Amino acid sequence: MSSAKSAATATASSAHSVVEPSPTSKRVAGAIVILYALITLVPLVWIFLTSIKSPPDSISYPPKILFTPSLEGYCNLFTTRTRQTPDYIAALPPPSGVCDAVTRERNMVIAGASNFLPRFANSLIIAFGSTFLAVSLGTLAAYGFSRFKVPLADDLLFFILSTRMMPPIAVAIPIYLMYRQLGLSDTALGMMLLYTAVNVSLAVWLLKGFIDEIPREYEEAAMIDGYTRLQAFFKVVLPQATTGIAATAIFCLIFAWNEYAFASLLTSGSAQTAPPFIPTIIGEGGQDWPAVAAGTTIFLVPILVFTILLRKQLLRGITFGAVRK
Amino acid sequence: MTDHTLTHKKPRRPVFLRRGPMEALAVAIIALGFLMLFQPFVLVLYTYSFITLLAGTVMFTIVSKFPE
Amino acid sequence: MTASHDTFSEKMADAAIRATPEPLAVRVRGLSDRAIAWLFIAPTIVLLLAINIFPLFWAIYLSFTNFRANRPNAVVQNVGLGNYSRILNDPDIWASMQTTAHFVFWTIVLQTLIGFALAYLIDRKFRGHAFWTTLILIPMMLSPAVVGNFWRFLYEPQIGLFAYAVSFVSGIPTSDIQMLGNVHLAPWAIIIVDTWMWTPYVMLICLAGLRSIPDYIYEAAEVDRASPWRQFWSITVPMALPFIMLAVLFRGIENFKMFDMVNLLTGGGPGSTTEVASIALKRDAFEAWATGRSSAFAIVLFVAVFGLANIYVKALNKVKQR
Repeated sequence: MSSAKSAATATASSAHSVVEPSPTSKRVAGAIVILYALITLVPLVWIFLTSIKSPPDSISYPPKILFTPSLEGYCNLFTTRTRQTPDYIAALPPPSGVCDAVTRERNMVIAGASNFLPRFANSLIIAFGSTFLAVSLGTLAAYGFSRFKVPLADDLLFFILSTRMMPPIAVAIPIYLMYRQLGLSDTALGMMLLYTAVNVSLAVWLLKGFIDEIPREYEEAAMIDGYTRLQAFFKVVLPQATTGIAATAIFCLIFAWNEYAFASLLTSGSAQTAPPFIPTIIGEGGQDWPAVAAGTTIFLVPILVFTILLRKQLLRGITFGAVRK
Repeated sequence: MTDHTLTHKKPRRPVFLRRGPMEALAVAIIALGFLMLFQPFVLVLYTYSFITLLAGTVMFTIVSKFPE
Repeated sequence: MTASHDTFSEKMADAAIRATPEPLAVRVRGLSDRAIAWLFIAPTIVLLLAINIFPLFWAIYLSFTNFRANRPNAVVQNVGLGNYSRILNDPDIWASMQTTAHFVFWTIVLQTLIGFALAYLIDRKFRGHAFWTTLILIPMMLSPAVVGNFWRFLYEPQIGLFAYAVSFVSGIPTSDIQMLGNVHLAPWAIIIVDTWMWTPYVMLICLAGLRSIPDYIYEAAEVDRASPWRQFWSITVPMALPFIMLAVLFRGIENFKMFDMVNLLTGGGPGSTTEVASIALKRDAFEAWATGRSSAFAIVLFVAVFGLANIYVKALNKVKQR
């Protein structure tokens, strides 16, 4: 089927097929798509621009496109500050860094580090920990479903997938009670287990597709050569599935990284991740938008990189492996 | 099954035991449940939307085991 | 691990080995296939039983009680179907369902129309289409919470870029464009952000649908001198329809349970104009602490999503055969 299809596309591109769109229609289509892409990227560009604005520039009317870049947003993101009298500040020794200087211009001094770094670290630990667990469990289960005839396999697979579809708030009510009993409330371990459970469904479905594509003959040949089934799995199947495992891992990582509903309901302090923290960044007299934008920018950059790495696997990931292109 | 029935042409399963039409019916019941859940006109329909959705979902789970 | 679970897995593994062909004597050495099937699938099932199924049954039990999580020591009484009857006769929760319906309906309509149109245009294969497609895809990968939070800034009536751009184009003064404060505009504010974010998702799946249509069908239509309009409606749309259905169902499920973006943008306000089902549930469960009643509400949402998920998997299998 797929080879027939690629053959069809090959003929379509080599010979000038009747269905090839005309150059004019291509140009018009291109112009509209590019216009859409540019408009859709404006909010993202605006996040970055706001992050390098000074607070007065960020709230000016009309919105400023040209401005002097400032590091104040990033400084405010990482620090807490206290207001002081000009006399007090004038009496201080010279500023020790950029942020020190920027803060003093606002008649403030840096009081300490903000909670952003610990929250960011929580996000990293929970996202990587849960991804590792989900992909490990998912690879094993996917192999089991792919190679052995498991009774009720379709029902089990549906059950596994349906756990991902459940409304997070509905799941959070009993989880909240259970974690309170087990002492897992507001712990990184609790969040890791929860994200693993949500991600393992995606991992099983995606990886089953990838492992189905590896011919059984490889393992059988290895087993004739004297490997046990386990050895064949580790030495033959796993190396073949590396691309699939990597793509699955990135999808799990992105989910755990972006997750907000569980995090906002089940964590409040020591295990809070970045998504519930960033909206709470406030300055004097309301939300400190440059600092929020700075936090958002730092938070989004890894996802941008991953999206570009994943672009060929995206379709597969969002359809649970059903559409393979 | 007796020898007599075997000699005849195998009878088709009745409609209510075939997967295709029954699945379509279950989907229709689930869709009806959503309409009842979402409509802003009659409170009673909303009240009975849950039981409709439950019936449709249970029915779907059962009939998807039927052969085509 | 419970004893009953052990026997279940054993039975599964037993049947697995019986069903797996045994061509080779090598199976004797090392772990048997039966042990491996058991070993490989059990951890996932155990995790899901612990984190998903056990809590689900707990929620079902709670939905028949008057338990309140903020009073764990109070006497818990069985109230039978009382919680369900209250949830299903409560005009406020009914209203939250209509808010959800408005949100789900319009996001699906807009995303399908724009997403399909974009996919159709990208399928013209103009120069650089792969690059621009990747750029368009970026919003759907981002955190709805973190980006939704930033949209609050874009929506600010005086200083926000959105209000400024709209007033620049339409001439309406920016002070009138209270996207999050006006009861008529707030439902559209969340629809706009969701559409911005998820149109690429629909576009990507529609594109796969368009690319799955073999060229020879169009060639045959050319031979028959079918007009482009006719080709579009009798070939393109019907053949891409299973893919469109897949995208619509998934967006329907996701938006039916939408929480994060709406919670940060409006928190359900102004008043309760954007209080979708998940927000109403969160208020009942984590602000009013009516745990028993909110569990019943949660089960109602579970059943609805479960029904849709069944149809979604049917659609997945349909697309898989292509």
